[in-house]
Amino acid sequence: MSDYFERIRRHPSRLAGDIFIIFMLIVVIAWTLFPLYWAFINSIKFPYDVYGATWIPWLQFEPTTKFWRELLDQREIRNALKNSLIISIGAATLALFLGTLAAYGLARFRFKDPSNGSLTTWFLSQRVLPPVIFVTPFYLLARELGLRGVPFLGLDSVWTLVLLNATFNLPFPVIILTQMFREIPKEIEEAAQVDGASRLEIFYKIALPLVAPGLVVAFVIVMAFSWNEYILAVTIAVKNAIPIPVIIAGAESTRGIDYQAVGTRTVLALLPPAIIALVASRYIIRGLSLGAVKG
Amino acid sequence: MSETTLTETVARDFGPPPGKPSRQKGDGTKWFFVGPAIIWILLFTLFPLLYAMRTSFYAFRSGKMLRWVEFDNYRNLFSDEALIANLQRTIIYVIVVVAVEMVLGFLLALLFNRQMRGVSSLRTIMVLPLFASPIALGYLGKTIFYEIDGPVNRAIEALGGNAVPWLSNPTWAFVAIMVVDIWQWTPFVFLVSLAGLQGLPQDITEAAEVDGASAFQRLRSITLPLMAPILWLILLLRTIDAFKVVDIVISMTLGGPGRATELYGFYIFRTARRFFNYGAAAAQGYLLLFIVMVLVSLLWSRIKNLYDTDEAEAR
Repeated sequence: MSDYFERIRRHPSRLAGDIFIIFMLIVVIAWTLFPLYWAFINSIKFPYDVYGATWIPWLQFEPTTKFWRELLDQREIRNALKNSLIISIGAATLALFLGTLAAYGLARFRFKDPSNGSLTTWFLSQRVLPPVIFVTPFYLLARELGLRGVPFLGLDSVWTLVLLNATFNLPFPVIILTQMFREIPKEIEEAAQVDGASRLEIFYKIALPLVAPGLVVAFVIVMAFSWNEYILAVTIAVKNAIPIPVIIAGAESTRGIDYQAVGTRTVLALLPPAIIALVASRYIIRGLSLGAVKG
Repeated sequence: MSETTLTETVARDFGPPPGKPSRQKGDGTKWFFVGPAIIWILLFTLFPLLYAMRTSFYAFRSGKMLRWVEFDNYRNLFSDEALIANLQRTIIYVIVVVAVEMVLGFLLALLFNRQMRGVSSLRTIMVLPLFASPIALGYLGKTIFYEIDGPVNRAIEALGGNAVPWLSNPTWAFVAIMVVDIWQWTPFVFLVSLAGLQGLPQDITEAAEVDGASAFQRLRSITLPLMAPILWLILLLRTIDAFKVVDIVISMTLGGPGRATELYGFYIFRTARRFFNYGAAAAQGYLLLFIVMVLVSLLWSRIKNLYDTDEAEAR
C-alpha cells in the first residue's frame, strides 16, 4: 500500500486514472448485476412492498418465501424442472459424445477435399442456421412421426427436444475440443502407438483424460443453452414435455404484471445456468473465447 | 501451454491445420471419428430444410396442407408491405445493437486490459448475462421498464427527468428491447476481446511506447491490426445472432406497441405458430437463411483474407 501512495505522489495524474478505472468497474458490475438482483428481491417481496423503493431485505422490507413455496408446490413446475433437466443433460451428453469424436478426428487426422479447415467451418456454420426456420419442418415431422408411432420422436416428447438441442449446439464441443486435442503433444500418443495401442484406445485412454477441462466447458455450455432454449421447446412440447422456459412464458396474467410470478419464475430459469457458470467460469471464459485465450 | 500467436490460434480453428500431415493412412479410422457427427447434422438439418423447401410450395389453411401453389409463397414475400417494413426494422436493430455491443465491449476490454485484482472477478460476473435465459430476460425487462413506478423510470424521476413511456411508445419500446440485447451480449464482446488482448505479444506495444508512440497511435497501428481477425469473428457471430432474435420480443413486447418491435424472426414464428400458415413461414424462413448466408459469405471472406495474408507473411 505504501508503494502505491509513493507511486501516486510521483505521478499525481495516475490517481485520476485509477479512480476512473474503479468507477468504471463499479458501473459495469452494477449494470450487470442489477437485473438479476431486481428479479431476486421481487421474488421474496409481498405485493405491497413491490412499489416501495426498497432494496435491502429485513432492513427495508420483510422478506417472504411464500411465493417460492407456492411455486415449487405446483406439480407442473416440478414436472417442467424435471423436463428441463432431462433436456439439458441429455442434449449435453449427446452433443459431447458426437462432438468429442469429431473434434479428435479433426485434430489428429489430415483431411483432403473437404479439408480440415472447411470441415471445421462447416461445423461452425451450423450455428448460422436460424432455429426459427426449423420450427415448421420439425413440427410437421414430429407430428407425422408421432402419428406413425415412432418411439421418442413424436410431438410432446422430451426426447425429441434432447435430439434437437444436441444438434443445434453440436458446434460448441467440436470447436472447443478440436483446439484442446491439438494442444496435446503428439509424442505422448506416438509413444502409446509404439506400445501397440489402437487408435481408439489412444483416444479414450490417453487423449480424453487430458482434455477433461474442455469436456467440462463444452458440457456446461451446451447444457445452459439447451436449458434456455424456447422456440423449439414451445413448438414440440404440448403438455407433458413442457420445460421451464415455456412455463415462464405463462407467468403473465391478464390483469397486469405479476411481479412475484415474474420474479420467482425468472430466478428459477436463471439460477441453474448461473450457478454452473459461476462455478466453472474460469474454464467457460476460455471456451467461449473460441480459441483466443491461452490456458 | 505452448506459445501461440493470436492469428495462429484463429488460423488453427478456422483454416487448415498448420504443419505437416500427421498421418496419411487410416482413412477408415478418421471417418469413424468425424462421420457420426456429420451424418447426425445432415440428418437433422438437411432433411428438415428439404422438407421446408417442399412445404414452401404449398398453400396451408389452419395447419392443413391445401394445394401446390408453385412460387406463390415466395412472390407474396415481396408484395407484403408489412414484411418489407419488418426487414428494414430488423436491419436497423441489428446494426445498432451490434455496433453498440462491439464498441462498448471492445472499449471495456481495452480499459480492463491491465494487471489488477478486480479483473478476474469482473470476468466471472460478466459471464452471467450470457447464460441468462432470453425468454426470462424479456419478462424481467418488462418489469424493469414498467412505466408506472418501474425502477428505471423511478431513477429517471429521482434525477429530475420525466417518466419515459418505455413500453407504450413505439420508439422507446424499440430502444428498450435493444437495451436488453445489449445487456446480454456486450459481455460476450468484452470477454473475447479481453482474451484476445491478453494474448497479444507485449513486446511490440512496449517498443512502440519507448519510441514515443501515443496511446491512440499504438491502438490504431498495432493493437487493432493484430486484433482484426478476432474482431471480425465476433462481428460475424454477433450479427448472425442478432438477426435470429425471437425470444426477447415474445416475452417483452409481443411485437408491440403496434408493430414497433416486431423483428423478422418473430414475424416468421408468428406466421407459423399463430396463423399456422406453414407454407408462408417456410418461404419467409428461406429468405432469412438467404440473408444470413450472404452476410456470412461477405464477412467470412474478410476473416479468411486476413488469415491468408498472415499466412503469406509468415512464409
